[in-house]
Amino acid sequence: MLYLLPAFLIYLLFTFIPILETFRASFFDWNGFSESRTFIGLGNYLNLFSDPLFLKAISNNLVFIIFYSIIPILIGLFLSALLSGQPIPGFSFFRTLYFLPQVISMVVVGVIWRWMFNPVSGPINQFLSLIGLDQLRQAWLGSFQYALPAVGSIGTWVQYGFCMVLFLAGIQRIPMEYYEAASLDGANGFKQFLHITVPGLKSEIGVAMITTMIAALRVFDLIYSTTRGGPGDSTLVTGFLIYRSAILNNRIGYGAAIAMVLTVIILALSFLIRRLMSEKQEEQA
Amino acid sequence: MKKFRLTMILVLTFVLILSACSSPAAQTTPEEPSEETTLVVWDQFYREEESKVIETLNAEFEAAHPGVKIERETKVLADLQMTVKLALGETDGPDVAQVNQGRSDMGALVEAGLLLPLDEYVATYSWGNVFSSSVASRNSFTPDGKTFGQGSLYGVSPTAEVVGVFYNKGIFKDNGWSIPTTFEDFDALLAEIKDAGITPISFGSLDGWNAIHEYSAIQHLLVSLDYINNLTYGVNNVSFDTPENQQAAQILSDWAKAGYFSEGYAGIGYDDSNNLFKSGQGAMTITGSWFAPELMTGTDQEFGFFLLPGFSGKATMAIGGVGVPFAIRKTTEHADLAAEYLNWMISPRAAELWAQAGMVPAMSLPEDSKIATDNLFGETLLAWDTINKNNAVGHYIDWATPTFYDTLVSELQKLLGGVTTPTDFTAAVEVDYSNYLLEKSQ
Repeated sequence: MLYLLPAFLIYLLFTFIPILETFRASFFDWNGFSESRTFIGLGNYLNLFSDPLFLKAISNNLVFIIFYSIIPILIGLFLSALLSGQPIPGFSFFRTLYFLPQVISMVVVGVIWRWMFNPVSGPINQFLSLIGLDQLRQAWLGSFQYALPAVGSIGTWVQYGFCMVLFLAGIQRIPMEYYEAASLDGANGFKQFLHITVPGLKSEIGVAMITTMIAALRVFDLIYSTTRGGPGDSTLVTGFLIYRSAILNNRIGYGAAIAMVLTVIILALSFLIRRLMSEKQEEQA
Repeated sequence: MKKFRLTMILVLTFVLILSACSSPAAQTTPEEPSEETTLVVWDQFYREEESKVIETLNAEFEAAHPGVKIERETKVLADLQMTVKLALGETDGPDVAQVNQGRSDMGALVEAGLLLPLDEYVATYSWGNVFSSSVASRNSFTPDGKTFGQGSLYGVSPTAEVVGVFYNKGIFKDNGWSIPTTFEDFDALLAEIKDAGITPISFGSLDGWNAIHEYSAIQHLLVSLDYINNLTYGVNNVSFDTPENQQAAQILSDWAKAGYFSEGYAGIGYDDSNNLFKSGQGAMTITGSWFAPELMTGTDQEFGFFLLPGFSGKATMAIGGVGVPFAIRKTTEHADLAAEYLNWMISPRAAELWAQAGMVPAMSLPEDSKIATDNLFGETLLAWDTINKNNAVGHYIDWATPTFYDTLVSELQKLLGGVTTPTDFTAAVEVDYSNYLLEKSQ
């Protein structure tokens, strides 16, 4: 058991104690560096739920789940089905290519896409002009209508490769006989996908869902490097609000309270998905 | 057994790493060499031209003070703001550091008792002759950190800034346009430039903060200096929801609707819009004099600078102020030396070096200085001198409350995007402002 000690110490020092400290700070009115801090009980939490910015941020996080989690899982399923059939030339090339966004630092991703979305010199608007769709040109990241879906789609671009690689590994586990039997019974490719591949990937889908949903709820770096929550508060997310309150506005206690609520939401969602997945698996068994 | 030995090695390594982390602090305290003193300075002059100025001044300071070594650490402003608050609370923190003005930075640090009041040194070095009381009040707080603009001096700023209009001299010349002398003329010129098929004002609001300058530059032409002072320092219970502030919002939103800003400005960042302007796309841009050095090199275009002209019959007032000030850590053992360093940073020599770098110094240039002023730098310097002499130096209004910056950025984006009206805008900003006044009075 002793061999666990170093890892446990690191965990204690850098994860567990900071979480406890954050929890403690959330009951105080404190600027983060002053000697004096005032205990205000649940004051921060009560203020939180009447703060329109917090409610807006949470609802934006929920929209992010669509872009970070649901769409990437659908694309991942589609691509893994495409790549896993009969051996295709350049398989590992495509697999690497699709996975690439996942390994780039999020800040770099943000800078790249800020340029992509640039209304004047960005390739997206230039492409629209090139094919004669000038009326579709937008100030993407500055538009009240399009900023949230635009930033969200960056998340999709980053996450789908991860889902795909996960599913590709899972598909190898599904016995080939299932597919052979199904095609003998006259099931076409789509039906095989729906009735064999998708159910066979239940646990992988569960893992992908938990990981990407957590990423959607704690997104910060992407917003920081693209819109900083703007225009107005249309792309404001909880992670950025924590940074703004705790670091920029010296309200550590309030920021800590937001962080605690976010932690509870993430834990609850992860727990829920795991429960759902294990129930489904029991049904199957 | 083998496993146990491996574990012990790992644990020992870990303990060693931990002890290594804490040792430097333990070492420095007992042995303080009497003949050599190290002054730790944190600054945010990371751009090449700026950094050179500081390096020169530091080297000259060391040469003039034998036995003193300056240990310089440079960070970008955002990094500095985040780390300096914690570092100033440590006994081995920086002796001198640049601390941003306003309530959330300098005010909060004064309130926490981490900065040294400089009153004693104001007398020693006659700083009263170096800068005006209007400049000094920007770096002043009452000792409880609650009231801004009064009380003790906590920092000295080496550079000055004024927000005005940069224009492309070539474009103006080709079209026979001249510098407008009233706001009405300026407004008419915008329409004329637009009709000529040129972008009147290079602008991008994606980063947010510069929209505050676009708005407030117009606002400064409509309100009085007393109002701006009261608003910024949070005294005399003024309101943001006033006809003047609404009118400024109306003008800004009209400009946006008339297409006077760069195409797709809502999705363009500050640096990108500046690059567009520098490359000759756009007749004018409204920003601070800090942009001048960048426009003086690496371009074939020629640029000039003028103050946004006042409404006819009204005086011109412009957003302006002094740069991020140097402050002293309260618990430093070298307070006198640190003050000497501050004085060095605002010396006539420093003024000369800043001017050479194209930045407007907060101090007067020495009479015999040979700095060329028949260029863009000279035009920004003239603008600063003009508002300084006429007592027309306004404020960055985002200092007014700790959350004013976020509120203004968000509300201005809504106003520009046509989501809200000018009256919605001033009302929404007033909510932030009156909440703060209420909180402060309790």
